[in-house]
Amino acid sequence: MTKNRFSWRAAMVVAVLGLVAAAVVAASAWARGGHAQASTLVDGTTDSVTNLDPANEYDYGSATLDLLMFQGLYGYPHGAKLEPVLATKCAPKGNNATWACTLRRNVKFADGTPFTSADVKWTFDRVIKIKGDQGIYALLSNLKSTSVNGTYGVTFHLKTAQSTWPFILATSAGYIVPKSLYPADKIRDNSQSQVGTGPYQLVKYTPGQQAVFKANSNYWGPKPKTDNLIINYYSKSSTMKLALQRGEIDMAFRDFTPTELLSLGKASGIKVHAGNGVVIRYMVFNPTRAPTNNIAVRKAIAYLMPRQTIATRVYHGFVKPLYSMVPAGLPGHVDSFATMYGRTPSVAKARAVLKKAGVTTPVAIDIWWTPSHYGDASADEYAEIQRALNGSGLFKVTLKSAEWAQYSAQPGKRYNAFQLGWFPDYVDGEDYIVPFYQPDNFMANGYSSKTMNRLIKAEYAARTTPARLAVIKAAQAQAAREVPIIPYWQGKMIAVSRNNVKGIDSTLDAAFLMRFWLISK
Amino acid sequence: MAAVAQGTSLKSYLLTRLVLVVPMVLILLTFVFLLMRVAPGDPISAALGGHNVPQSVIDQIKHRLGFDKPLWQQYVEYLGNIFRGNFGTTITDQRPVSDIILTNGAATLELTFFAMIVALVVGVFVGLLAGRFRDTSVDVGGRMFGIVIYAMPVFFIGLMAQLLFGSVLGWLPTSGRASPITQATLQTHTNLFVIDSIYDRNWGALKDVMLHLILPAVTLGLVTAGVFIRLIRVNVIRTMKDDYIEAARARGIRERDVVYRHAFKNALVPVITVIGLSLALLLGGAVVTETTFNWPGIGHELVLYLENRDYSAVQGIVVVFGLVVVFVSLVIDFVNAFIDPRIRY
Repeated sequence: MTKNRFSWRAAMVVAVLGLVAAAVVAASAWARGGHAQASTLVDGTTDSVTNLDPANEYDYGSATLDLLMFQGLYGYPHGAKLEPVLATKCAPKGNNATWACTLRRNVKFADGTPFTSADVKWTFDRVIKIKGDQGIYALLSNLKSTSVNGTYGVTFHLKTAQSTWPFILATSAGYIVPKSLYPADKIRDNSQSQVGTGPYQLVKYTPGQQAVFKANSNYWGPKPKTDNLIINYYSKSSTMKLALQRGEIDMAFRDFTPTELLSLGKASGIKVHAGNGVVIRYMVFNPTRAPTNNIAVRKAIAYLMPRQTIATRVYHGFVKPLYSMVPAGLPGHVDSFATMYGRTPSVAKARAVLKKAGVTTPVAIDIWWTPSHYGDASADEYAEIQRALNGSGLFKVTLKSAEWAQYSAQPGKRYNAFQLGWFPDYVDGEDYIVPFYQPDNFMANGYSSKTMNRLIKAEYAARTTPARLAVIKAAQAQAAREVPIIPYWQGKMIAVSRNNVKGIDSTLDAAFLMRFWLISK
Repeated sequence: MAAVAQGTSLKSYLLTRLVLVVPMVLILLTFVFLLMRVAPGDPISAALGGHNVPQSVIDQIKHRLGFDKPLWQQYVEYLGNIFRGNFGTTITDQRPVSDIILTNGAATLELTFFAMIVALVVGVFVGLLAGRFRDTSVDVGGRMFGIVIYAMPVFFIGLMAQLLFGSVLGWLPTSGRASPITQATLQTHTNLFVIDSIYDRNWGALKDVMLHLILPAVTLGLVTAGVFIRLIRVNVIRTMKDDYIEAARARGIRERDVVYRHAFKNALVPVITVIGLSLALLLGGAVVTETTFNWPGIGHELVLYLENRDYSAVQGIVVVFGLVVVFVSLVIDFVNAFIDPRIRY
């Protein structure tokens, strides 16, 4: 009998006491330490990463990492102004269809290999050859060939004249990789080291969890203000908010909900930084199907769009009303929708335009939006639009939503009116006009306009910046006249940090790039 | 005895159970494949994130991934790959699915292991007490506790725990497997952070990792404990009425010994079966718990890939989930067959 004297009760009590004791000791230990170290900057983000090799990188989360490791011949090192980076200059020859660049000397890749014209040619050739799944190569669709002129000279031969070629050189399609390391015909996958000429070097990458960087000891430019950088990934902004408030991370860049930003703005020890942004939100119409094939219907909605209400009530001032596809702050921007439809909603003008066209009201219309791609506030955003349209008595709006995976496949072919957002490939008015108004645009909404096609061709061919900007202004006016799309807000670039973090405001500009090398604590 | 005489042998039983695994897995694979294809949405467009990409590019990707082939052909290739142990590569971030299973699976394993400890400790303790002191305030309290924690959604318990212990009291971390700096410096050998930090004798990291485990493991463990509490209570009550308990009392054995040494031990036998069944509950709960606590487990990844209709990733992860449940059920059946002759034939 004595060998079985195992006491369940005693075991249970010991186990529970053990757990409680461990929890208390651990909790008090945690309260004493465990926060981020001074020599390391820890950033949190809800962005995700797909590909690190620039030849197949075409999303913001991946681009944020690549920006730290890679550089192009051009870039935005100091602000929204395009500047030469790995080139000292690029100049067009003749009609803008040939661009000759002189490269910067004494630049090395992070692995110590010298940077030369051979790397530049290799980079552009491989992007075109690989044709990566993410589609970044489409940005180089106008590039016919690249040739080298000695160790520090490169010439780009384009298919047609393109005055915005330096902007293309600043995209990740133009991030230079070493010929010695990157294969010509396939992507270097995320588990392999990535080597560029940028200020940081990636030392550890755990998908969906963390990217760890250290300063690139071979960097040719000024040393980063913080030697070590960790980017921590969060699937939910609410969890990231708690981590920031607890000091587990020093800062967070992208993306909190407007409500969370409002709350963080009032929290002690936390600062919300806001700068110019170039993200836009807009509503697309299919101008080939009823009822949106009637321009009077589209114009009436343009008259009623509650931009200010959305900006203040839904986004608490973290976005600004937008009256053109080209965001305010970019060269060539004009408030074409404000000029044509006014800055505030007008029921009287909307009624008049419908009456003149003989449209019977209320006009029944389905408007689509997605809850899973443009943030939690999208529901409120479209509720406001519905309220404004139905409140006018001129429309009977039914809101419909679909998950992004269902929504994103050529929405224009299925929906008459729908929500979309845009983040530019390069920060120029051209990238807010051409993708949307060219024939067979990516939205597949069926829009086609001879006038707009002519303007797009003229923009490509313009030889001087003033001439090009004049065409961009004309295109914005034409877009407001035909209303295949109604732009309604422009986002700010927002980062949130603890009070001891310095330098964030210096990177918040229209280029929308988080230059972590300027940030310290 | 009659049941035993009419039944099959233990060997046949075990063999039958083993053979039944094959159709079970096949049905699972087929369902996963079909459900992903029936669900609305296009993985390629979702992965492209609304870029200005021509249709020709989308068609090219579909062709490369084989999504332009007839469904039956995709199905045959899918089965062939799975049986060869090739789970494929994710569409959204070109990550080998086997890497997700190994890396993120380890995180889930670590979480569910500690959650099971919490579930057993809490479930057995409260269940035994409630059964022993039937119809007293202890019983009412235990039953109420069991019902409430079982009925409460995992995410709600998780959010409350985050707010209370993380935000208000500031005692415990609210997300991740370790603090960012610990995770950055921790050498990963097994991807089980507790084991890795012990292996490297990195006690600072171990402390940090254990602290990060507390909230998610307790949250997930409590939900499962709700099942244990009710089951163990009922078993204790039933066992206390059994003849051998009466006999023990009649022989003059002290009530304390009757309860703790005879009734409780026998009441715990069914828990073995429930542990196996709870694994499915635990894995289901892990998906929500991992999302709530930003725990980079396989469930957390499943949600992300599901949102993007990433066929390859979802198929691979769900199949692994299914295989784990099938395997554990099989083991539990074997164990039960060995320890309890009444249920094996």
